[in-house]
Amino acid sequence: MRPLTEEETRVMFEKIAKYIGENLQLLVDRPDGTYCFRLHNDRVYYVSEKILKLAANVSGDKLLSLGTCFGKFTKTHKFRLHITALDYLAPYAKYKVWIKPGAEQSFLYGNHVLKSGLGRITENTSQYQGVVVYSMADIPLGFGVAAKSTQDCRKVDPMAIVVFHQADIGEYVRHEETLT
Amino acid sequence: MKANRETKRLFVGGLGEAISETDLQNQFSRFGEVSNVEIITRKDDQGNPQKIFAYINIKVAEADLKKCMSVLNKTKWKGGTLQIQLAKESFLHRLAQEREEAKAKREKSTPGNNNLLEKMEGVNFHMKAVPGTEVPGHKNWVVSKFGRVLPVLHLKNQHKRKIIKYDPSKYCHNLKKIGEDFPNTIPISSLTWEIEGGNDPMSKKRRGEFSDFCGPSKKMKKVPQDKGSTGYLAMNPRSSWMMESPYLTQQQAARKRPCDSITPNKSPPELGSDTQKFNNVLFQTSGLETARKKNSMSDDDIDSEDELKAMIAKEENLRRTTWSLINESEDDPFEVVRDDFKSVVHKLHLTGLDIKNNVSCHVSDNDIMGNDCEYDSGDTDEIIAMKKNVNKVKNSTEFSQMEKSIYKKTSFKNRENSELSGHCIKVQKRKNNVKSALTHGVKPLNCKSPSDSSSSGDAGSTSELAESEEDKEYNAIMKNCLRVNLTLADLEQLAGSDLKVQNEDTESDSLESTTHCKFDRVSKSPKTPDSFHRGRQCIHPEEIVASLLEGENTCGKQKPKENNLKPKFQAFKGIGSLYGKESMKKSLKGNVAPNNINEDQNSLKHEDPISISMENGSTHANGSSNELTPFQHAERANGPNHIQPQKRQSTFESPDRNVVSSSSSEKGSRNPISSLLPLKGKKSLSLSAKTHKIGFDKDSCHSTTKTKVSEEERSDSNSLTSFNKSPKVSSRKDSQESKTDFPLSVSHSLDASAKDKHAEDNQKRLAALEARQKAKEVQKKLVHNALANLDGHPEDKPTHSIFDSDSESETEEIPTQEQSHPGEELVKESVGKASGKLFDSSDNEESDSEDDSSRFKIKPQFDGRAGQKLMDLQSHFGTDERFRMDSRFLESDSEEEQEEVNEKKSVEEEELAEEKKKALNVVQSVLHINLRNSTSKGSVPAKKFKDIIRYDPTRHDHATYERKKDDQPKESKAKRKKKREEAEKVPEVSKEIYYNIATDLKEIFQTAKDTSEKEEDTPWNEDCGGEKPEEIQNPATLKSEAEQPGGFTFSFFGSDAKDIKEETYRVETVKPGKITWQEDPRFQDSSSEEESDITEETDHRKPISEEASVPEKETTRFFFFSKNDERLHGSDLFWRGVGGNISKNSWEARTNNLRMDCRKKHKDAKRKMKPK
Repeated sequence: MRPLTEEETRVMFEKIAKYIGENLQLLVDRPDGTYCFRLHNDRVYYVSEKILKLAANVSGDKLLSLGTCFGKFTKTHKFRLHITALDYLAPYAKYKVWIKPGAEQSFLYGNHVLKSGLGRITENTSQYQGVVVYSMADIPLGFGVAAKSTQDCRKVDPMAIVVFHQADIGEYVRHEETLT
Repeated sequence: MKANRETKRLFVGGLGEAISETDLQNQFSRFGEVSNVEIITRKDDQGNPQKIFAYINIKVAEADLKKCMSVLNKTKWKGGTLQIQLAKESFLHRLAQEREEAKAKREKSTPGNNNLLEKMEGVNFHMKAVPGTEVPGHKNWVVSKFGRVLPVLHLKNQHKRKIIKYDPSKYCHNLKKIGEDFPNTIPISSLTWEIEGGNDPMSKKRRGEFSDFCGPSKKMKKVPQDKGSTGYLAMNPRSSWMMESPYLTQQQAARKRPCDSITPNKSPPELGSDTQKFNNVLFQTSGLETARKKNSMSDDDIDSEDELKAMIAKEENLRRTTWSLINESEDDPFEVVRDDFKSVVHKLHLTGLDIKNNVSCHVSDNDIMGNDCEYDSGDTDEIIAMKKNVNKVKNSTEFSQMEKSIYKKTSFKNRENSELSGHCIKVQKRKNNVKSALTHGVKPLNCKSPSDSSSSGDAGSTSELAESEEDKEYNAIMKNCLRVNLTLADLEQLAGSDLKVQNEDTESDSLESTTHCKFDRVSKSPKTPDSFHRGRQCIHPEEIVASLLEGENTCGKQKPKENNLKPKFQAFKGIGSLYGKESMKKSLKGNVAPNNINEDQNSLKHEDPISISMENGSTHANGSSNELTPFQHAERANGPNHIQPQKRQSTFESPDRNVVSSSSSEKGSRNPISSLLPLKGKKSLSLSAKTHKIGFDKDSCHSTTKTKVSEEERSDSNSLTSFNKSPKVSSRKDSQESKTDFPLSVSHSLDASAKDKHAEDNQKRLAALEARQKAKEVQKKLVHNALANLDGHPEDKPTHSIFDSDSESETEEIPTQEQSHPGEELVKESVGKASGKLFDSSDNEESDSEDDSSRFKIKPQFDGRAGQKLMDLQSHFGTDERFRMDSRFLESDSEEEQEEVNEKKSVEEEELAEEKKKALNVVQSVLHINLRNSTSKGSVPAKKFKDIIRYDPTRHDHATYERKKDDQPKESKAKRKKKREEAEKVPEVSKEIYYNIATDLKEIFQTAKDTSEKEEDTPWNEDCGGEKPEEIQNPATLKSEAEQPGGFTFSFFGSDAKDIKEETYRVETVKPGKITWQEDPRFQDSSSEEESDITEETDHRKPISEEASVPEKETTRFFFFSKNDERLHGSDLFWRGVGGNISKNSWEARTNNLRMDCRKKHKDAKRKMKPK
């Protein structure tokens, strides 16, 4: 368990900023306490200061996880967002995509969102913009990347992919073993 | 020539368009016989013929062909150069040829095949045999799918042992269905038929039909012919087996197996499955299926299994003989396996049953045993009682005999006792013990009285020796005696009267006689009931007692008479003997026995008070002796208390015993017992029971000790008491008291004090001494036991269980306490005292515990973290006062530490803050924005985000965030209404004004029309639009009022503006030159007229002369125009020349249109507003 290096922080923030933009600042600089990012087993955890102190008592090899896992660094030092970060990112999401109830399940099984399943989309979403996927009942379902800009979405045929799947809450079930 | 002719196919190319087939035919007919001419025209896209060629079939000789070729080839004919070549045969022709060839071939091959087939299957095999049917007469040949007869193959894998049977009728998909074969067979066969029966068409026809549709019937016929006995094998092989099987013996079973293996093969798959099902149904055991499958898979396996099964079956048959055969024949004709299996199953069942039966028998035996064990272990006395009750019935019947024998015994004993002093003493001792155990206050007296008397009578010194001997013997016999006590007691009870008579006889002491007589009477009188009681009581215990008695009798060299009874109680005897001989071995029944003893005691408890009451009554009736009162007390005490102490003592006296044993040499011998006791006792009750026994023993020991004491006392008190017997009586009492009231020593010593104060005092002292000693010993023992138990002995239970039993006994004794003996409480107290406590008194303990608790309490000065630090310091410097660290030292330290802590905290925070800064920097770099809050990063907590406010309803500050639902919408509504009203008002207002003006203007204009020929005014008005006239009018009206006070006061601008305007107008008015370009006089006139009109319009009230007013009243102006403004004239000039009527009309129309538009727009706007 260690703090992130500059580079790691940058990589991670770039990724997170895709989804929440400048609201990232609010994650780093919180009014309700000190939170920080910690790297453990290649995973980045968003930890409150209190929990950090508690976790300091656990030896590194025994420590499984602490705080909330935001994602992990791949071997190539890219940052991959985990679904566990959804709770923290969803409230700050700038670009959102709502999917129809019929397409919810498909998305929650790890599939991309087709235009036919697209219920609503934030205006002026650009292409390859990180989005948070919501159900029509405004329940955050996961992360995605806009495959098409909002304007393009209007034109494309209904079977075209509109949002690339990144992470969904179905992973809590599907990838239970890897989510920490 | 003609013979050489062959049909050739010629290709004739390069034909002209005109050439027809007939031409060709004619042309080529010269050379040969032209059979077929075919002209083919190949065309390009446009449809123009490119190539025309023909195929000609010609029967031509070789020479003619050559001639033809040479003559006609490359000749020009009808616009084309002929090209003649030999062509390939046409595909149709070729096909036909091929067919023919194939036919020929078939004809060649079929006869051979047919022969083979016939060879293979015999005549009848042309029918559409159901796949799976066996070929009759050929072993292992089966009709496969697609009707082929194929052999059943047994394939063995190289690496595996298994031999797989390949049944072609079941593996269809491995064979490729060759299309021609199956359908062709029939026509080929028909051919053969043709060949055979070519001569007779009728027969041929018949046979052909026969083969086609009569096949099955044939088969049906033939099968019975082949195997008449077996019957419909092909149809139902199982049934055939059913038929066959009866003939098969066990030895044939081996032979069957291959057959079995075949039979399923033969059976079609559907049938097979059916049969399987059937078999399953028959077998009703799933395991057999697998076996059968195995059979179908490989014969070897079957054989091996079958052999085994056969072996089993043989064995079975040996057992069952015919039954098995019948069974086989009837039930299992199809498979031996089944038989065997069934048999096995049967066997298993049988064996299982047998085993079960055996087991059940054993179990029943064992159960009885086990039940006993369980019951014993379960401590359920009731069950034992139940069992025993059964025995009791017998016992009760036999008991009368028993009693008689016992009578005899007792008498015999007594005689022996009388004869042999030592023996007597022993017996007496036993009796004493028994009495103590039985807690009959009266009996021990009686018994002791003889014993004591005898001992006293024999020799005081020898008595002690005897006692010691007795004790030793006791220890030796104790195991037995524990039970013997009861028996003896019973015996004594039963034969008490005899004994006493004898005792009396033997004693024959004059002095005691009176008292003894009384006692005897007392004893007798109660004993008779007691004996009856006993009779009753004994029903429970006496079986055991009897058994024990017998066991003891065997052991104890006594009573050949009772041997008669032995056989009846042998089981018990054995146990009893075991009991008697080996206390170690005390089995569960042994446990039962003590339980019973407990019961006995319990029952005795109930009886004792009765007996005592009886005794009391008798004593009261007698009332002569003073001794009785204490005796009564003693007895009372004994009666109920006796048991209580016993039980309690049993709990607490186990150490006491040890104490006693350690203290006294006699007890030393007893130690083994005490040591054994824990081993014996695994359960509280049993333990308690044993402890009871030991309690009795102890009592006896105590009694012995007391007797010693009493003897000592006697020695002491001899001086005081002239007679030995009186002290003996006292000693008796004492002994009794000591036995019963050893815990009650104080209370009962008081009773005793009534007799001999000195003795009492001495006793007290001694008792106190002994008590102390015992207490010490008890403590020691407790410690010892505790330590010993620490080593992990399983015997640590006893102590716990004893306490439990104590409580139980207490609860039990509650009914007995109904008698309200004052001594009980004392007893309890004494018991409480006697209870093994490591520490002397509870008070002390409490105080100790308090001390301890206080000791372990954290002292106030050491409280908290500072205190800890202080303690550390103190401990560091040792306990020396000089170096003791005060809190003075601590303060600074603590402060420092706190500072340190704070520093640490701050350091951590700083680190985190640093991290955050870094992170924010990164964020900045990532987002490419300047963070406003970057400056305030250090003071994070103080910072508040205004974007996201967490609403807390409990906080009053946040009330501002609450939206007041009721007020705002109302307000807004009101506002909206207002707004609407305003919005509506404004246009209304404008309308009104507009109308007024318009109407006025209309009128005016109309008047103007009528009056003036020139209508230049209207255009001017029109030009001004709606507004100007308004303005003109309004100010006119206003001014008309405002001007009356004098001067020009217009409210639109300030007074300065007026002046300026005035000036400007003045300047204007000064300009007369404007008229210069209006040189026409008409213009002037018109303008003047117009002006007059306007003035008339505007100033209705002002009687102004036009000509005079023009120069004078130029200063008096309306809003924009002064009267007779020259600009207006200019406009007149401007509008002159336009068609008045046209313009007027157009204007009206326009105004109307405009109005309508305005209205429309307004309405539309209203409409739009409304839905929103």
